[in-house]
Amino acid sequence: MAVTFRYLFRPPITILYPEAKRAAVQPRFKGRHWLTLYDDGMERCVGCELCVIVCPSQAIFVQAGENTPEHQVSKGERYAADFQINELRCIFCGFCEEACPTGAIVLGREYELASFTRDSMIYTKPMLTEPYPGSSGRDPKREV
Amino acid sequence: MSHLPQTVTLTIDGKAVAVPKGTTVYNAARQVGIEIPIFCYHDRMPPLGACRMCLVKVDKMPKLQTSCTLEAAEGMGVSTTTPDVRAGQEAILEFLLINHPLDCPICDKGGECPLQDQTYAYGPGRSRFIEAKRDFAKPVSLGRVLVLDRERCILCWRCVRFGELVAGDDALKGFERGFHTEINTPFTLPVESKFIGNTIAICPVGALTAKTYRFAARPWDNQTVPSVCTLCGVGCAVEFDVRGGAITRTRAREQPAINDIWLCDLGFFGHNYVHHSERLRTPLIRRDGGLVETTWDEALDVVARRLRAASPSRVAMLGGARLTNEDAYVAGRFFRSVVGTNHLDHRTDATPDGASLQAPWGMASSIAEVGDADTIVLAGCDITEEYPIIWLRMKRAVDRGAAIIAITPKALEIGRFIVHHLVHRYGSGAQVVSALMEAASGASPGAVETGGIPREAISAAGARLAHAARPQILIGRGALDAPDGAKIHAVLRDLATLLHASVNVMRGKGNAFGADLAGLLPHAGPGGRPLAEVRRDLESRWGATVVDGAGLNAPEIIDAAGQGRLDVLYVAAADPATDVPDRARWNEARARLPFLVVQDAFLTQTAQVADVVLPALVAPEKDGTVSNIEGRIQRLHAAVPGPGQSRADWEIFAALAARMGKIIAYSGWEEIFEEMRTLIPGFALDARVSRKGVGDRVSGGGTEPSRAARPLPPEPGPPSNVEFPLILIIGDVLFDRGAMTSRSPAIADLAGEPWALLHPDDASRFGIAEGDATVMRSRRGSVAVRAKLSSAVPPGQVFLPRGYDGAPANALVDLSEPVTRVQAAALAPVAGGSERRGEGGPR
Repeated sequence: MAVTFRYLFRPPITILYPEAKRAAVQPRFKGRHWLTLYDDGMERCVGCELCVIVCPSQAIFVQAGENTPEHQVSKGERYAADFQINELRCIFCGFCEEACPTGAIVLGREYELASFTRDSMIYTKPMLTEPYPGSSGRDPKREV
Repeated sequence: MSHLPQTVTLTIDGKAVAVPKGTTVYNAARQVGIEIPIFCYHDRMPPLGACRMCLVKVDKMPKLQTSCTLEAAEGMGVSTTTPDVRAGQEAILEFLLINHPLDCPICDKGGECPLQDQTYAYGPGRSRFIEAKRDFAKPVSLGRVLVLDRERCILCWRCVRFGELVAGDDALKGFERGFHTEINTPFTLPVESKFIGNTIAICPVGALTAKTYRFAARPWDNQTVPSVCTLCGVGCAVEFDVRGGAITRTRAREQPAINDIWLCDLGFFGHNYVHHSERLRTPLIRRDGGLVETTWDEALDVVARRLRAASPSRVAMLGGARLTNEDAYVAGRFFRSVVGTNHLDHRTDATPDGASLQAPWGMASSIAEVGDADTIVLAGCDITEEYPIIWLRMKRAVDRGAAIIAITPKALEIGRFIVHHLVHRYGSGAQVVSALMEAASGASPGAVETGGIPREAISAAGARLAHAARPQILIGRGALDAPDGAKIHAVLRDLATLLHASVNVMRGKGNAFGADLAGLLPHAGPGGRPLAEVRRDLESRWGATVVDGAGLNAPEIIDAAGQGRLDVLYVAAADPATDVPDRARWNEARARLPFLVVQDAFLTQTAQVADVVLPALVAPEKDGTVSNIEGRIQRLHAAVPGPGQSRADWEIFAALAARMGKIIAYSGWEEIFEEMRTLIPGFALDARVSRKGVGDRVSGGGTEPSRAARPLPPEPGPPSNVEFPLILIIGDVLFDRGAMTSRSPAIADLAGEPWALLHPDDASRFGIAEGDATVMRSRRGSVAVRAKLSSAVPPGQVFLPRGYDGAPANALVDLSEPVTRVQAAALAPVAGGSERRGEGGPR
């Protein structure tokens, strides 16, 4: 009873979303995915598909390709020629980020991912790749 | 004295095992389900003991022993899980990983890698090695299909030993020593092998990977579909790995009776044509001189109308070697019962009146029996080019002491394994075989030399043959289609009778045996039973009349068309324009044909001149069964859907029948298969339909001369013709550029430009150097090829491979002459640049 009365006179935790918004999410919040870049603009993703196999909801598709001297996308021999995430399927568990050997895929802070069509919820590689190194909020100089 | 194999009893991890004497501890452990990790040992090759991974503790032995090389002995006590064995395994893995780059995320082997798996299972989990790893430039391209990563290599020698022991081609070798050891090709040429795909399959790490599969998929992306390779006649069991509706790679499926666990490179890398952009997607119809896309309804209506309008005896069908058994059976039913013609033949590439039409195609013995032979006679059969997997069996026989006697007009690449290599002048094969027969039956040959072969060589081969206990006699297309082919075949049959063996007719690609079985022959119905005998059965089963009397065979069909005696020619899954031995006859036939229908997957050279082209599925898209050269029936599973509106062949025939007012209704391949079972004795999945069931066929024309009585044709003798000084030998090669192979990029690359093989003496006589753009000209026509010089061809002869659409060998041939004579001339270099050389070849 005492607990009930204590909470009864506190201001509510709920906010009137979307008119009102919370200031910031927690640092460990898992939102939309980004494919991050190295400081020099090279893609971190090497197309290894470990995120694909670890994903419990099978939301990721990767088709790897081979780097050539004329078309060097990532460091090493292999890169992701195609990378798609079905954000409708994703359960934001963060396993992909954990499995990634190069720290390429990260889950960002953005959570407003709603859309009017299913098609537009399949994020393609250009949508997922961060526009410039570090724009996803991760340090582009980090090791992994 | 007992001849039973002695057994020894030993104890492994407390389990008592009785094994035959000579068994290794590793195999004994495997027998009781105890797993010992291995890298270098492969059960198709003898033990080596290079990787040291298979360490076990043996009682009373002071140190750990390698179980793959240790022979089991009576009373031996072995343990595989004691702490010191564990420590040994961990130490070995730690050593192996010192220089392994651990780039598993980008390695094609990752996910199916024995090193990865065993490191997880037996490895230490951490490394004390913090120094820089061995650093090699990578990846290294070794030829058109193979990629080497030397950093990943753990030097198990499997690939090297495969080339030495299994394939006999020594394609890969080890160089340098110790820490610097690396695998490479001898003389750093692009790797020369027909079996290099197998080294990729047995590599326990990602050191050898395939260019065609590079980064295409991860093992977990692939769905594996069991199927059968139909690119040559051997019918190897394969698995297609499919990702997203496309075949990413082909792997061998274990089939002890046929390919064991191996495949040739045509099988490994020859599937890409399936997804080629030039696959036919819609029916095509000729309008105003050009082929335009149309609907199935219109195309089928036009074909049905023309078939109805034509008199049945003026309709013929060619082809069938690329069909499944069921497709071929429905094709036979359609033409025999709905159209009413017996002019059916799948043997489009046979020469008129040649031995190919008289001999029943296919092997009398099984493929496995070839591996157990002690004497093998190869007549006109380039086994590595035509049926490469059978060579692996022969190699095994050779390793056990078998002698190969090869009678060919061109030296074979397996020459160093052939004890009696009788390379004869083209056209004198019959004389050589007859002399061999005489020598084998004890007589000494009269002539000092026969067909360019000294008497001693023939007597030696004959002596060997006389003592053969388990002989195998193989006759190939090169002998059957030679001018004296019928005589060679007849003599070999006599020889087989003498040796209590039978002649294996190494003839037919794809499912030619199945086309035979299904009844795509002018004179025989399903099961190879003569028409007169099988006709009643067919009529009661099909509920329609079947005309009596043998139809025309393939060369007769072409001739009939050329004389204007045909109204409709229906070509299914064949390319007579490139297959027929004499292209001029085909051109003439096409010119006089009022209506040509082609049912195929590509716009082949025949389809280009057709009136209606119907798009069909190819083998990896079909469900059904196929028969291989030894008559084994195997199941095809559809791995991928067909492109566009293409349809299964039997469905096309059923749809045509419906438009002609007859019903051919099947629910699927199973129902067709069941119907075939009632007609063909012994027809069952994974069974071998013996050739006895097929029966000896009578010649299509019914004018078969008595072969034994036929006199030896005169030897052509040394070439005396001044204008056309060279005798042309045409033969099959494994890698060519035909309608399908040119659309499998890896195979087209392996095949290279069209080429011809000249003896160096001839080449210098005509001023031709290695690699020169050369024009080969006969009275009939000419082709432009790249010259290769080799003493494999005897002087005065030139070898031209079949199967290149860009240099069709049949354009040179005039069948009215027994041998084709050609002249060769190098094209003059064009001033102003070597890169333009060879482009101006006359067409």
